Amino acid sequence: MTPIPHDDGYYGLPMLKRPLWGWEIALYFLSEGISSGSFVLGTMAELFGDGRHKALTRHARYLALAALAPCPPLLIADLGRPERFHHMLRVVKLKSPMSVGVWAMGGFSGPAAALALKQFARLEWMPGRMLAIAGLPFAFTMLAYPGVLLSTTSNPLWARTRYLGALLATSSMASATSALAVAAALDPKSSDSTREALHRMEGVAKAAESVAMAAYVATTGEAARPLMKGRYATMFRIGAFAVGIALPALITFGRKKPGRTSTVISGVLSIAGAAALKWAIVHAGRDAVEDASLNRAVTRADAAHPGWAPEVAVRTGVLAGSVGRSS
Amino acid sequence: MTAEEFVSQAVEVWARPEAPAAREQTGFFTDTTLCIGCKACEVACKQWNQLPGDGFTWTGNSYDNTVALSATTWRHVAFVEQMDGQNHAPRWLMMSDVCKHCAQAPCEEACPTGSLIYNEFGNVYVQQDICNGCAYCVAACPFGVLDRNHEDGKAHKCTLCYDRQKDGMTPACAKACPTQSIQFGTVSELRERARRRVEELHARGETDAYLYGNEPAGEYSELNSFFLLKDKPGVYNLPEAPRRPSAHLKPNYAASFAAAIGLAIVSALCFGKRGR
Repeated sequence: MTPIPHDDGYYGLPMLKRPLWGWEIALYFLSEGISSGSFVLGTMAELFGDGRHKALTRHARYLALAALAPCPPLLIADLGRPERFHHMLRVVKLKSPMSVGVWAMGGFSGPAAALALKQFARLEWMPGRMLAIAGLPFAFTMLAYPGVLLSTTSNPLWARTRYLGALLATSSMASATSALAVAAALDPKSSDSTREALHRMEGVAKAAESVAMAAYVATTGEAARPLMKGRYATMFRIGAFAVGIALPALITFGRKKPGRTSTVISGVLSIAGAAALKWAIVHAGRDAVEDASLNRAVTRADAAHPGWAPEVAVRTGVLAGSVGRSS
Repeated sequence: MTAEEFVSQAVEVWARPEAPAAREQTGFFTDTTLCIGCKACEVACKQWNQLPGDGFTWTGNSYDNTVALSATTWRHVAFVEQMDGQNHAPRWLMMSDVCKHCAQAPCEEACPTGSLIYNEFGNVYVQQDICNGCAYCVAACPFGVLDRNHEDGKAHKCTLCYDRQKDGMTPACAKACPTQSIQFGTVSELRERARRRVEELHARGETDAYLYGNEPAGEYSELNSFFLLKDKPGVYNLPEAPRRPSAHLKPNYAASFAAAIGLAIVSALCFGKRGR
């Protein structure tokens, strides 16, 4: 039998359980981001656009509902007991980001559905602006909460950083902008000023996403190993960054108003990149728990986290040389 | 099931019967220096709680063929052979692991259905009629205790034998433990007993004995099911200093909302007159 070296943990066995979230949650994060992001963009265009972006708002209202539609089935399919999905509605729990997200989606679905219906059935009596403004807080919550949900766990890949929420939120806004830019490029009724505005917005959203991505990777530090070096590294580096951010920027770079074809191509690449980002982050969280030495490293005692490190053992030399050493 | 039954079952979820009056907090003190690795606790737990077997494999990891806590294994005896004689005489450490019943439990904070609660004994308890298997608690627990059973789709863990406690009985594992390595009682009494035990061991020259989880540590709460250990926590597959998942909830939300609202403001500028 191989003797256990002193700081090698317990037979290399993981300390944590594997997160059980998979493709349903990755696709849900993509879809709810496009839904809430386009709701926000459509509302901003309606409130501040002086009537110049009517086609954009029209696309946004339909897209918000269309992207919202797969969300409840995806979430329900992910449950261990799908027929009990309504148990989520027993309590409102602000300390649980999942509860916050469920209620945000509930509050969002009303205005999102009503605005799409108003537009489709030409229900002029519906107070469009009021509904849009009422839906905004819920839409912002849906943009903001997914990364915070992941961060409020013990998973080293998600919980070490304060910027995962911002990364997923900026990615959602960027992918919604791209989706609306594709719609604007394909719809001859869209005005030039709409396409220019969306192009500018895409640039800013992508820049913000890049900054958030850099902040996320930097603050996660060594715990980003399962994402940067593991089997999702290609999806993250090539998919989320190269395809999702760098390539679209290259295609439309420096142009005041890119052509319709390049807008469509770069928009589709951006959305594919957002999908790769969310897929890689959700799935690499599973690999992160398999890395037992990483989990020991990120839960080591320090000044802010004294833990229950055995001071007596340190003093008597049992732990000599091993505290603070990375294993 | 008739439609009527289905509806009444669905509605029952919102019913809130009055909670039982709070009792003095109970917990476990697991003194690993007394553990002889007999696994009576594992067997007693499985029998009392009617937990299915997990199959059988030889792991080669000393006498530990249980591997880890799981949805169907709520006590797990760890075996650590230290025969290299580097820092001390060759020794064999054994430890019966269990849910830590954290005073501020990350699983309870995460649970979006309110299935995870503190019962009247202050124990962290999964209400099986409420849990819908969202698996947030699985990702939240810093000790890897909770897991979802693939057969019934719900999260399971040590109940601290809630049913036995209600009848004034000792939890099955503590009752079965032949060496008093697993001690059950009120938390205040257990902490005092544990403190005295460490003093006693230190007086005997066993100065590496210490308590794991007997008091709050930074952002992490004290554990109501705590341990006396002889080596670093990592040796028993425990985190040296667990992080509290919700410790940075507000700054996380702040950064995230700032990003979303900031980009919305930029979009308003792009769509507005200034963007022309």
